[in-house]
Amino acid sequence: MALTLRELEIFKGSALLLSLDVTVDEGEILTVMGPSGSGKSTLLQAIAGHLDTPFSFSGSISIDGTNLASQPPHRRGVGVMFQDALLFEHMTVEQNIMFAMPSAKYQTKSRKREAVAKLLHAVELDEMQHRVVTTLSGGQQSRISLLRTLAAEPQAVLLDEPFSKLDTALRQHIREWTFTQLRERNIPALLVTHDSADAVSAGGQAIELSSC
Amino acid sequence: MSNFNSQSTPRSRPQSKPLSKPLYKNRNRSLAQGHFNRIAVCAKWLLLCLLIIPVAAGVIGVFLPAMGYFPAIGANQFDFRVFAALFDVAGIHTMMWLSLFTGVVATVIAALFAFVLLSVFYRSQMLSRLQIVLSPFLVLPHAGAAIALVFLLSPSGFFARLFTFNSSAIASANEGVFLFDSYGISIILALVLKETPFVLLMAISVMSQPLIREKINGYFKAGTALGYSPIAIFFKLVLPIVFPQIRLPLLAVLVFAVSNVEIPLILGPNDPSTLAVAVLHWFNHIDLSMRLQASSAAVVQVGIAVFAIIVMLAVEKGFTFYGKKWLQRGKRHVTDKAISAIAYLLLIAYVVLVVSAIYTLVAFSFAKQWTFPNIIPADVTMVHWNTVLDAVLTPLSNTVLLGVSVSFSALVLVLLTLESEPLNTGKTRASLLLPTALFLPLLVPGVAFLYGLVWFQQLILKDAVWFHVYVAHMVYVIPYVYLSLAVAYRKFDNRYVMVALSLGKSPMGVFFLVKLPLLIGPILVAFALGLAISFSQYLPTLLTTGGAISTVTTEAVALAAGSSARLSAAYVVIQAVMPLCGFGLAWWLSNILFKPSTTKISTNKSSTGKSVRSV
Repeated sequence: MALTLRELEIFKGSALLLSLDVTVDEGEILTVMGPSGSGKSTLLQAIAGHLDTPFSFSGSISIDGTNLASQPPHRRGVGVMFQDALLFEHMTVEQNIMFAMPSAKYQTKSRKREAVAKLLHAVELDEMQHRVVTTLSGGQQSRISLLRTLAAEPQAVLLDEPFSKLDTALRQHIREWTFTQLRERNIPALLVTHDSADAVSAGGQAIELSSC
Repeated sequence: MSNFNSQSTPRSRPQSKPLSKPLYKNRNRSLAQGHFNRIAVCAKWLLLCLLIIPVAAGVIGVFLPAMGYFPAIGANQFDFRVFAALFDVAGIHTMMWLSLFTGVVATVIAALFAFVLLSVFYRSQMLSRLQIVLSPFLVLPHAGAAIALVFLLSPSGFFARLFTFNSSAIASANEGVFLFDSYGISIILALVLKETPFVLLMAISVMSQPLIREKINGYFKAGTALGYSPIAIFFKLVLPIVFPQIRLPLLAVLVFAVSNVEIPLILGPNDPSTLAVAVLHWFNHIDLSMRLQASSAAVVQVGIAVFAIIVMLAVEKGFTFYGKKWLQRGKRHVTDKAISAIAYLLLIAYVVLVVSAIYTLVAFSFAKQWTFPNIIPADVTMVHWNTVLDAVLTPLSNTVLLGVSVSFSALVLVLLTLESEPLNTGKTRASLLLPTALFLPLLVPGVAFLYGLVWFQQLILKDAVWFHVYVAHMVYVIPYVYLSLAVAYRKFDNRYVMVALSLGKSPMGVFFLVKLPLLIGPILVAFALGLAISFSQYLPTLLTTGGAISTVTTEAVALAAGSSARLSAAYVVIQAVMPLCGFGLAWWLSNILFKPSTTKISTNKSSTGKSVRSV
């Protein structure tokens, strides 16, 4: 798995916002930095398929040679994570993760349940299944949010300043943990951030966008 | 551009490169057009048709007879004789003046009251309590509010009882000052009572929109730093940004005020009445030729509404003109004490009115004998309620059946319409039409287009009475359901949708599994609002069914003209309770629906403690 952005140019109206030409290898975490307004989040929206007017793009976005631009957002296999965990509050932890699991793979509910238990066990969050998500701490929420993203078995993951709302001590911990999870699964990831410590920790290529 | 990690340098393009044409601009949009979106776009067009066609047909349907074309009585020549005849009718100018005067004055006063209340309470905890105090008059149908006022203000009404200490005062108490007065003061009073909470609520909902709330908070800080008092900040900084957003709803209130039928019918003078009431009488006249006069009067009613709007806009211009000079003077206070005093007086007046209205209506509906000037009825009986409960069964089931089907289908159409919006951001023909279409039924007086609509309905599907009343209710319910839900949609964090889509769920799946559950509260409130609007419809129900389908509201108005105060009181109580049940149900359901079960938490308590520490 590798995420390739070939001659990608993003426009706001008819003005060029940013241009990129890069390949993110499997297990690599590409960091994109830049001041606000430089189009970092817009870049992620283009890849995930959420680009809305007045933005548009040219060039190609592909994973292992498959062009993503011809796919609607829900068929791209691209997971996104934001500053906030955005856990669905009308579901428990288990339901949140089960919501993300591809139904074709797990044919029964009980198999999904087992898989959830295994995922939680692997990250020492045992027996959290039936917790109401609003009762979780900030760190727990971010971790469940990543587990949910991974449960969908994405081809690539986009991270939109996912650690910026955590306090410093927790941030480092969650960051290491998140990157480990992504590397273990060999998923190419694109991280957008303000924090240069994120880039150092990610260890992959880093691109700094200039403001337009 | 700099690289932290120089191993593989990403190629970057200089900004000076000639711009290549965006390739995927249109392709992206066509991708999004799945099944779900196609359904949503269809729903949007259906909604637009439901709003525009009845109103347009209705206006044509009154315009033709007004111009002398009415084949049913052999009139088929276009001319202005009908109008000439109309202006010869005795008292026509008084009728027109009464409509214009009561409507404009009531709307201006209601707006001022709402702004005074907001200026004092907009940053305090009292605001939510204020909404509770005002809500009974907000949800009570106009007819119900008017009848309640009769009970309070009539010569033997509750207030007369309160201020009369011996029975010898009966004689003087019979000379009622307030009710049915030829100046229309009682009409203005009822309209102000009903419209102040509405204007207030519209303003609060505008002020709670995230962007505007942020702006207001910023202005408040800046204003405070410059030494302005909170009340001065409201009038000088907050109102100028809020007012443009509520101008259209305010004009809808104005049009309703100049052209509504039930309030002047119950509270207003009879000879001459307001123009809208006259239109009602002329249309229902046995002599069919009166239809021509009624139609021309309905067209004049539209003219009055337009004129009232012009007057209102002129009033606004005047306020802005003097407001600007006033702003430049830079006074830090604006007779704060007087404004606070008015606000608290208004609040007290509302509390007194609500409490005494509830007491009087309930007491009257149970009273065996209640002689003047006693404040408490002599004895209690169930007789009236037994009579009412027998009689109300059919109207009540009609009301509920109609309300539920109208409000539910309006809700479905509105939700789908809102779903179709973000994909075509305001660029399509339908999106441009929508704001106009939504306010069309609210800006064209009901008395004007409903008769024309009925005329067409009689031509096409004569016997489909339920369908006709359904359409007429939809015309009024859709705008309110839409306006109420659009606020919640604007506040919704769309990243939830992005996350759910990126987890591989289809747009339809995301709508049903994520968006509906997360928005369940506002959706149920919009449904309850739709119910309340449908419950309160008097003229649309009466006209489209020709009286064949009675609802609680049409019965209440009919009874108000009758002799039994007891039955009338009981009907108003039912009118007040029904929308409250709707909102209560919405509140209860939104607290239990789509909530993860909490029972399992207690069994996992031991693990809970552990996992909290583990972070």
